[in-house]
Amino acid sequence: MIFKRPFTMSHPSEPPAHSDAIAHGQMPEDGVRVKIVGIGGAGTNAVDRLQLDNTGLGLRIAALNTDAQSLNSSPAPEKLLIGRSLTRGAGTGGELEVGRQAAEADRERIAKIFQGMDLVFIVAGLGGGTGSGAAPVVAQIATDAGCLVIAFVMLPFTTEGARRRQLAEQALGDLRQHCDAVIPLPNDLLLQHLPEESTVLDAFGQADAWIGRAIRAISSILFHTGLINLDFATLRRTFTPRGGKTLFGLGQGVGENCVAEALHDLMLCPLLHTPELSRRADRLLVNIVGGPELSLARVNEIVTAIAEKFGSREQTVLGAVIDEQLAGRLEICVVGATGTQARQSSVASLRTAPSGLRADGLTTPISPAIFSKPPAAAVPAAPPVHTSKLRGTKDGGAAQNEFHFVGKDEQRGYFDQTERNFFEGEDLDVPTYLRRGIKVEL
Amino acid sequence: MSKPQIVAAIDIGTSKVVVLVGEIYPGDRLNILGVGQASALGVRKGDILDFMAACNSTHAALLMAEQNARTQAEVAFLAQSGAHLDGFAQRAEVNVSASDNKVRPIDVQRLLAEARKKELPAGRLAIHHIRNSFKLDGRAMVDPLSQQGDKLELGFWTVTGDEAHLSNAIHLVNGYNGLEVKDIIVSSVAAANVVTPEMEKKIGALVLDIGSGVTDFALYRDGHIVQTGVVPVGGDHLTNDLSLGLRISPKHAERVKLSFGQAMVDAQARSEKVWMVGDKSVGDRYIPRLAICQILEARVEEMLSIVKKRIERLGGSLTPEDVAAGVILTGGTSRLPMIERVVERVFGLPARRATEPAWLTESLRGPEFSTAVGLLFFALNAPIPHDPKGGARKGDGLLNQLTRWLGS
Repeated sequence: MIFKRPFTMSHPSEPPAHSDAIAHGQMPEDGVRVKIVGIGGAGTNAVDRLQLDNTGLGLRIAALNTDAQSLNSSPAPEKLLIGRSLTRGAGTGGELEVGRQAAEADRERIAKIFQGMDLVFIVAGLGGGTGSGAAPVVAQIATDAGCLVIAFVMLPFTTEGARRRQLAEQALGDLRQHCDAVIPLPNDLLLQHLPEESTVLDAFGQADAWIGRAIRAISSILFHTGLINLDFATLRRTFTPRGGKTLFGLGQGVGENCVAEALHDLMLCPLLHTPELSRRADRLLVNIVGGPELSLARVNEIVTAIAEKFGSREQTVLGAVIDEQLAGRLEICVVGATGTQARQSSVASLRTAPSGLRADGLTTPISPAIFSKPPAAAVPAAPPVHTSKLRGTKDGGAAQNEFHFVGKDEQRGYFDQTERNFFEGEDLDVPTYLRRGIKVEL
Repeated sequence: MSKPQIVAAIDIGTSKVVVLVGEIYPGDRLNILGVGQASALGVRKGDILDFMAACNSTHAALLMAEQNARTQAEVAFLAQSGAHLDGFAQRAEVNVSASDNKVRPIDVQRLLAEARKKELPAGRLAIHHIRNSFKLDGRAMVDPLSQQGDKLELGFWTVTGDEAHLSNAIHLVNGYNGLEVKDIIVSSVAAANVVTPEMEKKIGALVLDIGSGVTDFALYRDGHIVQTGVVPVGGDHLTNDLSLGLRISPKHAERVKLSFGQAMVDAQARSEKVWMVGDKSVGDRYIPRLAICQILEARVEEMLSIVKKRIERLGGSLTPEDVAAGVILTGGTSRLPMIERVVERVFGLPARRATEPAWLTESLRGPEFSTAVGLLFFALNAPIPHDPKGGARKGDGLLNQLTRWLGS
């Protein structure tokens, strides 16, 4: 059995090395190239915090904004001011359309950021101008450049008002069209995990922390080879066909009962319980990172429990990584995607062959169905859609519809498929305690 | 005495369908012969989502009620709820026609005709024109007949519904051996009529029918319903909130709600912890009761304040003087412990759970049955042709419109 760990994980307490060293130093040039792009004020701030946390995974970081002042204060090594001709570097004033045009105007410069990249994380706060307007365009550019695009987007508090929420929803719909996976982080929900007296700033910090954990978890799938290895092609396949809803959850456990604890933590993961995220997946990828004591029996125990909860065992791809620094600890990351059966055929050109088998003779429970599907010639058609009468505006076109497509997943819990229940700009089907920021302690 | 008519009262709720089969001697008395119930499938927030599923549930309940009653229904009265219902207040006025200036029944008929003239947006149908108190030359009065005056005024609360929703519901009942729907009555009106004693109707009362999918309300003043409405929030929202907030399955959330739910946080709830499943099975865990009550309190309070806002926005008064009898609660969710305390807090009015009329048999006294019983009452007092006093609702008008719409 091979316990292989080609890259060393830096200790968190180590002082961060020169940012360029983090950005470029530890990545072999022929490996998977990853870039994190923060868009807009909130996105840039989140990315800046990530950079300070030493991930040690050789992630390249870029910041993109319409606001020159905010961009200047960012320590990101790669910065791009977009839409200078439109806004003169003064921001969008919360106008989505300005943000969109700013990105459209600088398409070529943005495309340069993604040159040669394999995986792109987009981080943005929706509800403002730049994040909501530019992020979908940037995602499209990245996709056109052949990158796998995963977006983490923060959704505004309900208390920020109906207008910001509508902008955010529109942007979320647009993003789902252009990204392989979109993971929304509703600020309302993140506030739930903070003490009563926490401020709004704490909630933003919480969003950053989740994004950091999530990026680390996905990156470790790619960069840490382990017990059962998952590679970039497998990750890409999980999100094929694109356009479906994403399931994403993290859980961790410490100590003797770390398996039970991590599973429990995963089940309580707030991201698995938002109306915006999927709770069942057609294709599921489970990655487990643990200390040297992680045994296959435990891995099996975990994957059985997870597959039962989120999808079928046949469609679950498993990865397990040993990290010596995680002795006595266990981290589980679940990534899933949903898509209608009709669209589950096209597998675009892949860089590497699927190599789910790594450790000697170990068969991973990879579904043959996933890999044996013949690549379809035609590009998959737009997903079936259902438009809500209440949503009205037809000018949003396909982007609006995308947000409402009916899949197997539950978009709004029990009230999926019913018309949205608006009163004074709030969707009454979303739990009141979430909208009011009432903290519920479990 | 005329021959009795066998009537089926059908209430297609969000959680269950209730059918009562009754024997009606119009304007005289009614006997309830049979009860049928089935869990409603395909209904969310009072709207039919899956027609076939809702059809099966309704037909099952009808069949059960008919078997219980050992007879077949001749006509049906159907309750209607859901977010598609809306309403507005309007006034009609006519000059008294008779030469001696005494108000005749024909004047009242003309007022009703006046109210029906009001044009509605495309796709909307008037379900009720609920008559409020008369004014004769500016003097308010209950019964103006044979009084002298020039100008007779009458206020109406007009309830409208979506054409497609209504025809869907009628279709569904027609599908049961061609059972004819004689009238559609808005759930809030049907239930309020049963649970509110005459005295309380006169001094003013607010009736809240909190069901699984929706909350219906009806406001009484001077003995008449002056406003009705539907807020598409009910017990299912409580369950969904618990499911998301406590991270448990909807099935467990429902159980937790029924066993440990409470509309308010109190001292006892602060310290208690309860088992999620309670059978010591794998995956069972402790849940703080505080969390359960916090989630429920937030939702209940919001739901009630929406009702309050809706009433006040349309000019309805909720002062203790105008609603002297306070708030009367009915519907399945009104069983949630301490809910009346939250109602008192939100409305600033005394609140109590509804008590059904004493003549009802024990088994029909639950809040779940008040709408269906109310339907039978409407069947009992259904307008008899040429009776001037029975003109409050013109169900025939609605049905004619619908038939035309369906026929085209």
